[in-house]
Amino acid sequence: MAGGNAADNPVAINMVPMVDVIFCLCVFFMCSMKFKQVEGKFDAWLPKDAGTTAPAALPQEIRIAIDWDARQEVARLQMGTRLVADGAELRTLLRGARDDRAGDRNGVVPVVIDADGRVPWKDVIGVIDACRELHLDRVEFALGKPN
Amino acid sequence: MAKKQKAVAEESISPNLIPMIDIMFLLLLFFMLSADMSQRQLEEVVLPAASQVKEDKNKGNEGETTTTINIHHVTDRSTACAVYSNGGVCREAEHWKWAIRGHDYTKDTLKEQLQIEAQLHMETTMDPKAHKVLSALRVLIRADSGAPYGDVQKVIETCGLAGIYKVEVAAAKPAPEKK
Repeated sequence: MAGGNAADNPVAINMVPMVDVIFCLCVFFMCSMKFKQVEGKFDAWLPKDAGTTAPAALPQEIRIAIDWDARQEVARLQMGTRLVADGAELRTLLRGARDDRAGDRNGVVPVVIDADGRVPWKDVIGVIDACRELHLDRVEFALGKPN
Repeated sequence: MAKKQKAVAEESISPNLIPMIDIMFLLLLFFMLSADMSQRQLEEVVLPAASQVKEDKNKGNEGETTTTINIHHVTDRSTACAVYSNGGVCREAEHWKWAIRGHDYTKDTLKEQLQIEAQLHMETTMDPKAHKVLSALRVLIRADSGAPYGDVQKVIETCGLAGIYKVEVAAAKPAPEKK
């Protein structure tokens, strides 16, 4: 009869151990689950012929210095002689510098990042990100300053 | 008569386990599929956010070989770094490690390791610019957002000394802003 007792059915399966095991597996996977960060990358290919030797400074390059203020624990950006307050100002200055120089080098304007070794990596990435946003694809790292 | 009534009562309160088992199976399937067990060469690193970063489309490409160098913050379990754990900028040189596949390296040992790996993946033709056969190995640098730039610079320099020119730096896509 449909809906009868389990005792009526001689081939009834005991589900309880299976439910226990699935519960344990669920708890294990729930505890070990971690939401993955979406990762990407920037190319930072080294020159094939020059290795890591310092190239001669280009007259049209945009030079961004990043210094580390150890007392206040902040990075100080400087473009030329001008101190840069934030990312928005950096973008404005970069845009202006790019437009000034674009005609001279067929649109390719190199940006040189000259950062102190103690500067947090996120500040350097912030500058690279601003350069990429303004289509300044040639970004170079200056040789290290002594800490 | 009393026995018959008891049996009817027992039958009416027996729970139907089938929907619960179905849901549990679905949950199990979801967690199993979302579990990523292939991250063994990635250390716990808080990557800096960058909106212009391009997503890695070469993941799983058999033709390309990539070595990942993690620059991550480590302290002994006995001496936890209060600065780093409070979100500050840790500048203790011993707290920053360079790791490949779970092994820590110094500048010298990293150069040796990269030279070995570079030799294993040489390009087939001579580069006309460099006048030598270069390594086809890609190096992905995954540096923590608080890592000193000097460490990243030293790793890039070591790649150059080991004959590797395909260097990439990792960053995280920022989460979309909520409106």
